[in-house]
Amino acid sequence: MESAPPIRVAIIGTGNIGTDLCYRMLRDRRFEVVALVGRRHDSPGLEMFRGQVKHLISSGIDGLLPFLHELDGVFDATSAFDHLSHWEVLHDANKWVLDLTPSKIGLPIVPVLIGKIPAMSLLGAHSSNYSMVTCGGQSSAPILFAVAKASKVISEVEVSSSIAALSAGPATRLNLDQYIESTEGLISLISGCANVKAILVLNPAEPPVMMRTTINIKVESCNLEEAQANAHQIVLEVQKYVPGYELVVEPYLQSPGTISATVKVTGAGYVLPEYAGNLDIINSAAVEIAVLHNSASGVVNHK
Amino acid sequence: MINSRLYDVTLRDGNHALRHTLTSKFVTSYCEKAEKSGVWAVEVGHGNGLGASSYLVGKSAETDIALLMAARSTLKNAKLAVHSIPGFATIKRDLIPALDLGVDIFRVATHVSEADVSQKHIEFLANNGANVHGVLMMSHMIDIKGLVLQATLMHKYGASAIILMDSAGYFTPTDVAERVSGIKNALEIEVGFHAHNNLGLGIGNALSAIHEGASVIDGASMGLGAGAGNAQLENIVAATSRESADSSNIYEFLEMSKLVEDSYPNNLPRTTSSSTQSGLAGVFSGYAPQVRAISDELGVDTGVLWKEMANRKLVAGQESMIREIAQDLMNL
Repeated sequence: MESAPPIRVAIIGTGNIGTDLCYRMLRDRRFEVVALVGRRHDSPGLEMFRGQVKHLISSGIDGLLPFLHELDGVFDATSAFDHLSHWEVLHDANKWVLDLTPSKIGLPIVPVLIGKIPAMSLLGAHSSNYSMVTCGGQSSAPILFAVAKASKVISEVEVSSSIAALSAGPATRLNLDQYIESTEGLISLISGCANVKAILVLNPAEPPVMMRTTINIKVESCNLEEAQANAHQIVLEVQKYVPGYELVVEPYLQSPGTISATVKVTGAGYVLPEYAGNLDIINSAAVEIAVLHNSASGVVNHK
Repeated sequence: MINSRLYDVTLRDGNHALRHTLTSKFVTSYCEKAEKSGVWAVEVGHGNGLGASSYLVGKSAETDIALLMAARSTLKNAKLAVHSIPGFATIKRDLIPALDLGVDIFRVATHVSEADVSQKHIEFLANNGANVHGVLMMSHMIDIKGLVLQATLMHKYGASAIILMDSAGYFTPTDVAERVSGIKNALEIEVGFHAHNNLGLGIGNALSAIHEGASVIDGASMGLGAGAGNAQLENIVAATSRESADSSNIYEFLEMSKLVEDSYPNNLPRTTSSSTQSGLAGVFSGYAPQVRAISDELGVDTGVLWKEMANRKLVAGQESMIREIAQDLMNL
C-alpha cells in the first residue's frame, strides 16, 4: 500500500504527548501532519516544529476551524475537560478523533484487543471517537486479557503503575482521579469484574525509572501455564506497535488465588527520553488506531 | 504547657508496623483512652492512607470506613484525621465518603517534590469546609528553597498547615529547626513535623520543631510506625512537661502506650543496624527486609547498597529496583 495517500491529521495540545505525537508522525510516511494546535504564542511545543508543520496554531481549536477541510482526523492531547468541547466541534465537522485525555467520551480501545473481545471493535462511521484511556490501561489490558482467558471467575483486579515524575505533564498531574477512574473503567470492561482498583505512583528517582505496570488478578481458578503462554504471545503482538513493551515478570501465583504479572515499557525516545514509556505506549496505540480506522472505513477522505 | 498541638498517628503510621491488620475493635479501645488524654487529633487508617489498601502496599484487614466509623463514634473532643495520597485515593471514592462520615482533618500527602498533584484534592476539601493539611513526605530529599516552593503550592491550594515528614528518619535537630523556620519565615502558614526514629533522633527532632514554633507535632504511642517507628508520643509529652514543669496529663498518654505495648508486643518498632544505615542514607526504611535478603544473596554490603539506593533517589514503591541496583554494584 505504498501508494495510499497519507492520513491528514491535526494534533491539539503541545505538551509532552502532543509534541511526541507530532515528532513521530512527521517521520511516518502514512501521515501528513497538517496542523499543530496550542493555546499560547510562546508555546515551546509549537516553536519546536516551526518550518515542519504547515499550520502552527496558537489560538486553540478556534484557530483550527478554517483548516478543518484539510483534515481526516484529529489527535486530542489536551485535557479531559477541554476534550468535551473539542469533540462537539469535530463531530459536527465529521472528523474522527483519537482522544489521548482520560475523558471517557469515546470508545475505549486497545489495538491488540480489537477482534478479541466483543466490546472492542473499530467503529464504522467516519466521525468516530476513540479513547486511548491511559498508559496504565494500555499497558495492563493485554496481560489482563491473557490471564483472564486462562482463568475462571475473576473477582478482583488491581493495576498499579509507576512512571517517572519527569514524564508526567501538568494535565496528568491535575488529572490523577480521572486517570484512575478511566483506567478502572477499562479494567472492568476487559475483566467483566466490578471490583477493580488502579494506582498511579509518580516517581522522582534518578536516573528516571522506566514505566512499570503490575497487574494483580484474583481468580477462582487459573491454568497458569496457559496464562503464561497467552501473555508471551500477546506481548509479541503489542511489540509490533510498541517495540519497548516487555513482560518482566510473567504471570505467577502471588498468593493463593491471586495471579500477578509485571510489564515494563521503554519509550522510543522521540521527544522525551526512553523513560517516558507511559507516553510512548499511549501515542503508539493512538497512531495504530488511526491507521486501522482509516483502512477499515475504507477512505482517506480527500476532497 | 507547650503551644504545639499533638497529632497522634498510632492508628495510621502504626498500621505499617501492624502490616495493616488494625481492627475497628482496637481503634475503639485506643480512641477511648486518647479522648481522655487531651491529644489534639487522632489519625486513623491504612499506613498509606485512604484508598491505599492494595496488593501493591498491603491489604487492610478492615475497610477505611469501618475503622473511621469506630473512631468517629468514640472521639468527641479529639479531632478525627485521615492521611490521603493522590494516586491512591480519589475524591469520589474516598474523600467524599470520609467527609460524609465527619472526618475533621484531612492530610493530603505527596512526595516532597510533587506537591502539584495535590491541587484538586486540597481545593476540593478546602471548598467543602474541611481543615486540610498539606503533607510533604521524604522532606529531606530537596533543599530548603525547594521545600518552600512546594509548601507555597499547597498553601495556595488551600492547606491550613504544611506538615514536614522525615519519612526516612534522616534529619538531625538542626536540620529540623532550619526547615521549620524556613517555611515559617516564607509563608503565613502553620507548620507541623512528623519524625521517624531511624537515628534515634525522633524525640530530639520533635523538640527542635516545637522550639522553632511548629504548631503541630506528630507522634505515636510506643513509636508504633513504619520502619524504626515514629517519635514516641508519651515521651514527647514527658520531655515537654520537664521543660515547662507541667506534668498534667502524662498518665493518660502512658495508658495509651501501655495498651499498644500489651496488644502488639511483636510489632513494636526499634532502631536496628539496618534502620540506622537506611536513616543515614536517607532511604525509606521499609525496604530493610529486601535489602538484607538481596545483600545476603548477592554478597553486596548492606551499607553500600543503602548508599547507592540513596544516590538513585529511590522512593517508596520501588522494591523491584533494589536487585537491579545491587547487580549494577557488582558489575562495577
